[in-house]
Amino acid sequence: MASSNSLPTSTPVQIHAQNVLMKFQKNTLFRVDELNFKQGDVIYLQGDNGSGKSTLMKILAGLIKPTEGVILDQGFTPKPWWQTDSLLGKAVYLHQHPYLFDGSVKYNLTYALNQLKLTPSERSSRIKQAINMAQLNDLLSHHASDLSGGERQRLAIARAWITQPKLLMLDEPISNMDKHSQRLVLAMINQLKQDGTGLLISSHQTCGLTALCQQHWHIKQRTIHTSMHVPTVETVHQTNTTELHYGTTN
Amino acid sequence: MSDGWLALLQQAFSLLLSFDPDVWAIINISFSVSFAALLITIIPSIILGFILAFSHFRGRWVVTNLIQTLQSIPTVVIGLLVYLLLTRQGVLGDLKWLFTQQGMILGQMLICAPVMVALSQAAFSSVDRRAWETSRTLGASWLRAVWTLCQELRVPLLLAIIAAFSRILTEVGCSMMVGGNIMNVTRNIPTAIALETSKGDFAQAIALGLVLLILALVLNFILGSLRGKALPRSH
Repeated sequence: MASSNSLPTSTPVQIHAQNVLMKFQKNTLFRVDELNFKQGDVIYLQGDNGSGKSTLMKILAGLIKPTEGVILDQGFTPKPWWQTDSLLGKAVYLHQHPYLFDGSVKYNLTYALNQLKLTPSERSSRIKQAINMAQLNDLLSHHASDLSGGERQRLAIARAWITQPKLLMLDEPISNMDKHSQRLVLAMINQLKQDGTGLLISSHQTCGLTALCQQHWHIKQRTIHTSMHVPTVETVHQTNTTELHYGTTN
Repeated sequence: MSDGWLALLQQAFSLLLSFDPDVWAIINISFSVSFAALLITIIPSIILGFILAFSHFRGRWVVTNLIQTLQSIPTVVIGLLVYLLLTRQGVLGDLKWLFTQQGMILGQMLICAPVMVALSQAAFSSVDRRAWETSRTLGASWLRAVWTLCQELRVPLLLAIIAAFSRILTEVGCSMMVGGNIMNVTRNIPTAIALETSKGDFAQAIALGLVLLILALVLNFILGSLRGKALPRSH
């Protein structure tokens, strides 16, 4: 289904979906002629509950295959021959309710690092940055199941950030969170944006998070509409996005 | 308890604690054969259990039902099947494994594999799908992701291994038919208990029975302590 192209790594990485149709049994969930998700994009994915936002993200992450259509990736570092057909690990997908592995916060945070060829100094530097960014300093030895909802989300984002993904998809990242946790998560996402990570952020309603976005994908009547116009926040949101940088929230 | 029973129990303990060579040779054969069968079977069975739980290939339903049926086949029937395979005229007759420990290992592998596959399939079916997705999207290879799930499911998978081990360590039908109950070669704990009981030598039978009881206790304590540490998780 999906294929990897061996373009030079200087080419901005992107995931390209063509003529995608997703069905569950005989019911069409959505269809789209063309979608491009590339490094530097910050896209707000809107849709009602059950419209297929998570499914679309999982398709782009290579976790599930569409009923029809092709998903192409470009510009990524070529993978070994036995993984050339896989989209997995290219656009990282974060669940709405993140899954944390049965272990400590540190175990979760460093889970993906074992797959990367890093020098010990690079490794420890990334761990330190991730801990600071997610403000998890005091929780490293705690069991992951002891964390609150906001802490879990921060850990999940930090766990993905530590791999320095070019593309990251966040599924309703601030739903059901208190204001403090929302601010911290928003700061982390803003930091990712400033780092140039391509972000696809889903939400069923506009919020402070969607104010960060530059593009808008809307799943409506089983079709995905794309535009450069992002809807404004419905409710007055006092948080100035320039204050969302994690360094200023302390 | 009558004096006769006490005397038998004393004799049984004496055989064990004095390291009676015959008794300990039987224990050694029993454990080495069953451990070998278990070790060969663990990884393929768990991987097959994972595949049956996570993939949707054509015929999956048939394979699942076949494995569940194999679990309930009496060990003596598996013994008969392996005997027919290993006999001179059998398909595997050239291996000359009949009445050898290799033959017993083959038989015990066929007994424990369905138990482990079925129980590991049940364990993998119960795992939160997000564990697999999270591992894969973070760039883990297929094998690393399977290993991650095994870590997440360590208690039910250990239960599967213990259940399979208990079944082969205590089975008598297959070992008797395929091994032949030859002293110092293929005589294991269950076949020795059957033989010594039929001869009226209850002390050795009780001594060997005690070994199985102690093993059952140890395995249950291990499992109990692991269960105690595995607290219910919130998502």
